[in-house]
Amino acid sequence: MLVTQFIIRRLVFSIFLLFGVSVIVFALVNAVGNPIEILLAERPGISQQAIDQMTAYYGLDQPATTRYLMWAGNLLQGDFGTSIIYNQPVWQMMTSWGLETLKIQVPGILIALALATAMAVTAAMRQYSRVDFGVMASAMLGQSLPGFFVGILLILIFSYWLGIFPSYGAYSMRSPLWGSHLLDALWHMVLPVAMLTFFNTAALTLLMRSNLVDILRHDFVTAARASGLPERRIIYGHALRNALIPVLTYLSLLFGLMLGTAPVTETVFTWPGVGYLYINAIQQLDYPVILGVTMAIAVMLVVVTLLTDIAYVLIDPRIRLD
Amino acid sequence: MASIDHISAAGTARTDKPRGMWAQGWARFRRNRTGMLGLGLVSFVVLVAILSPLIAPYAANDQSAMMNFGSRSGPSLAHPFGTDRMGYDVLTRIVYGAPTALAVGLGTMLVASVLGLLIGGISGYVGGWADEVMMRLTEFFLVLPVFVVILAVVRLFGVIVVGTPLEDIPYLNLTTIVLLLGLFGWPPIARIARAEFMRLKSMEFVEAARCIGATRSDILLRHILPNAMPSLVVVIALGIGSAILSEAMVSFLGFGDPEAISWGQLLYFNYAQLKVSPWASIAPSTAIFITVLGFNLLADGLSDAFNPRVK
Repeated sequence: MLVTQFIIRRLVFSIFLLFGVSVIVFALVNAVGNPIEILLAERPGISQQAIDQMTAYYGLDQPATTRYLMWAGNLLQGDFGTSIIYNQPVWQMMTSWGLETLKIQVPGILIALALATAMAVTAAMRQYSRVDFGVMASAMLGQSLPGFFVGILLILIFSYWLGIFPSYGAYSMRSPLWGSHLLDALWHMVLPVAMLTFFNTAALTLLMRSNLVDILRHDFVTAARASGLPERRIIYGHALRNALIPVLTYLSLLFGLMLGTAPVTETVFTWPGVGYLYINAIQQLDYPVILGVTMAIAVMLVVVTLLTDIAYVLIDPRIRLD
Repeated sequence: MASIDHISAAGTARTDKPRGMWAQGWARFRRNRTGMLGLGLVSFVVLVAILSPLIAPYAANDQSAMMNFGSRSGPSLAHPFGTDRMGYDVLTRIVYGAPTALAVGLGTMLVASVLGLLIGGISGYVGGWADEVMMRLTEFFLVLPVFVVILAVVRLFGVIVVGTPLEDIPYLNLTTIVLLLGLFGWPPIARIARAEFMRLKSMEFVEAARCIGATRSDILLRHILPNAMPSLVVVIALGIGSAILSEAMVSFLGFGDPEAISWGQLLYFNYAQLKVSPWASIAPSTAIFITVLGFNLLADGLSDAFNPRVK
């Protein structure tokens, strides 16, 4: 099978996947009940006329399939609807809050990748030594530490006790630190990024170290050693490349996990990201935002999975395409 | 003389019944230090959970500390982990959180295992298009942003049951969380079950069972399933830990069960006062950490014990 054919097949599957996700999300939210009734359960005393008006406006008197088609059709045109609570286009809200989320998630993954590579190489080069054991044990421990616990400890130590970093928010409320908006924003990012980096590094190190150890047993490594290449060149030039391939898949999983748990990360640091937006939307029963954010996260996950699948094939020609 | 003893001892050993799969696994597991540490931590949590009414220094809902110590008082002899925002003794709440955590972990994995075994088992044993359909389904559930969906459903469901008979079910919110976690947590189990059923169905002993006329359910339940168990136990142990962590995160965000005493809930009530009373946030986080670490290490040890080749 040709690479383009493979890509087209994955693309079609991704579209089916997104269709399925949209059906499930829509069905789940609808199975819970009439949105207006739910809204009214916490806000009694609204006239029947207003209820009828809202029902007609949101098309709630139509059957579920019609409503799904309406909603999905709007989604396809990039219309995520309007927030019931803030009366703002959901798309606009998601992009501005989503940017704040990516601002801490992307550095969190990139720094972790660099750190994990260094640690895994150090450990794998001295397999079963004390260094190796130390790296493995701390990675294992780090992986079991819940993210929010790391966040709490970071805030306690660096914010409350040492007073170095701010404990909440992405920007200073009044004048920015040192009079610079850029420095202010970077300074606020340090603790959340540190927490994400910590978690990602632990998981990535474990995976990369076991991959490297596996690969260092291969014949081509022995051949490279026999040809008199320095160990450093063997590791960085030959072994690491191969060890990175499974890491690619894992990175997409990790990205999904991080996006999924963004509500927790952003609650710990009171970070104005999409997770924080989501929690508020759920608490206030802001339907369009709930549906919009869930779909946006699903789209991001599917796109990342698709990209990794494609990258996988392009990087490693040994992979069979059927 | 000594050498003869040695030979006869070895001779009798040979006529003994060969040790089974589980006994061999246990023998290997016992030598695994991290695995034993995990087992120790898990046993500790289980013991605390079983004995919770006996070892908790105060009654579960005792807020009398409000009178003498005040809420948010630091660790002292009377309250080793301090008191929290509501005047509860933190140690007491931690102890009573253990049964909740274990119930969540076991309940979730019960639901997930039944689903995962059914789906993965059929997929692996039958093969063909059934396999294709089920594996696509599994892949689909793996892409779903599960945590985010669970948050929304728990909250919406909590609103809609108000005024219906469902409202009277005890721990309704917690049950919803457990069911949802299970409903979304089966794909890893299905994947392992599929691989194991696929591997085992073409083994000679299954062929032999078929030859002596064993029924299909006999083959599946008495021959294949027990041999697939070791691999499944590893995923289940990992799953218990991650279910406990998920419930803690759901509760931490304020969507937990107000009736239940859970570590995440404790964190939710006290996190806003982290600066004033850090002990009330650190203690539940540590409890979650120890439990999750215990199950992770246990799973690691189990996988080393049952699949000694993979290292």
